Amino acid sequence: MTFPTNPIYKILKERAAGKDPDGNVITPQVTAIIKYLGTEGHYLEIPLNKDNTDYQEYLLWVAEGNTAAEEAD
Amino acid sequence: MSILKVDGIRSNSATSDAITLASDGTCTANITNNLSNRNLIINGDMQVAQRGTSSTAYGYGSVDRWKNTHSGIGVTPTHSQQTATSSDTGIWEAGFRHYLRFALPSAGTASAASWLSFTQFIEAQDIASSGWNYTSTSSYITVSFWIRVSTNQTFYANLGTRDGTRKRFSFAITASGNNTWTKITKTIPGHADLQFDANNDRGLDIQITPHYGTDFTGNTTLDSWVDHQSGTNAYPDYATTWLTAGASTFDLTGVQVEVGSVATDFEHRSFAQELALCQRYFYMHASGGFDLVNTDRCPIGLGYGYTSTSGFVMITFPTQMRTDPSLYKVVGTDYFNFAYNGNNGFPNDISANRMSSQVCELSFHTGSSWDQNAAGMFRTYNTAARVGFDAEL
Repeated sequence: MTFPTNPIYKILKERAAGKDPDGNVITPQVTAIIKYLGTEGHYLEIPLNKDNTDYQEYLLWVAEGNTAAEEAD
Repeated sequence: MSILKVDGIRSNSATSDAITLASDGTCTANITNNLSNRNLIINGDMQVAQRGTSSTAYGYGSVDRWKNTHSGIGVTPTHSQQTATSSDTGIWEAGFRHYLRFALPSAGTASAASWLSFTQFIEAQDIASSGWNYTSTSSYITVSFWIRVSTNQTFYANLGTRDGTRKRFSFAITASGNNTWTKITKTIPGHADLQFDANNDRGLDIQITPHYGTDFTGNTTLDSWVDHQSGTNAYPDYATTWLTAGASTFDLTGVQVEVGSVATDFEHRSFAQELALCQRYFYMHASGGFDLVNTDRCPIGLGYGYTSTSGFVMITFPTQMRTDPSLYKVVGTDYFNFAYNGNNGFPNDISANRMSSQVCELSFHTGSSWDQNAAGMFRTYNTAARVGFDAEL
């Protein structure tokens, strides 16, 4: 697995794809943020929940002007 | 039968009553042992280490519930769970069998922005409902712990609050000598400005600090509650004796925070009790190496193939976690095994498809394919593989 070490965060989108009941193509939504923990293969997958302190740290990191990598579609 | 009528019972050499009797027939006693459910600290005796026993990671990584932070000291310290022996005079007799150690590989360098600290955060609701009348200056909370340092100097510790106006109470700590276990106790009054909301956020934190650089020190008042300010009011300036002495160590155990003005004996809890308390904040579900026959295999759960390249497993946590946790994972090529109907798939990666504070719907994917709709057992297939859940403060 290739993962960016700088930035240490990557945006994770829904894996499921397809169409909704009206036939519209579903756009994968962001489901979590992945944080690289400094060793190959070691990650935190962070839910978008403001009570989660890992997510709070991510939001602070973004507020400092940083941008997470986008997962390839 | 006779009745002893007194208003208090006091030692000849004490300045306050051990037992004070009230006119309504009740009494208040300063009992220092064998009391239950009073330690607000979890894993204060450092016996639980789900993530591992040694780490150089910033933050959590070794002993549960203790956040070990460091920056700018010129070397990478290791934080680890150590096993006590009968040579650990003081803590051994008090019943401690583990301690947490910060160890420097060599002498550090003291820059202005350097620091090294142990911290545990306590949920606000647990302080709010602890029984401490924290806005009263005549109501107390008492901190006690054991330290041992390779090179002694004056260190500092503090209690910090988060709700309302952030406050901090700092105090000095000093060991009785080099490499000697010393018990520290500090009784701290309430303050009118203290606030603890009834929620699961950070409420009170205890920080024990081997070193702080001058960016964070210099302008403070010890032994009183002061407003928290980013930067300069954590502690007085630190001596750098310990940091620069060489391969220094700072050991900590027996941490207790309790309501009242007396430091009672440490409340020893069983491993099972302490582990259950820790699992509200971190839960290691599967770790390659638990299976004694096939040491790379640890069951994760029963699952099914949603497609030929993805599948799902539901994991129920042993206790409700503090909030929706992060998925902690160690993944890689063929790190997992999906065994079904006499066949095998070897996923490389996992993700949390849905997550609550009680259940995770875990997906496995990437790697070799398997049969769609197949049901089977999902397990680790590498000793390094890990599946954990992190809801720490």
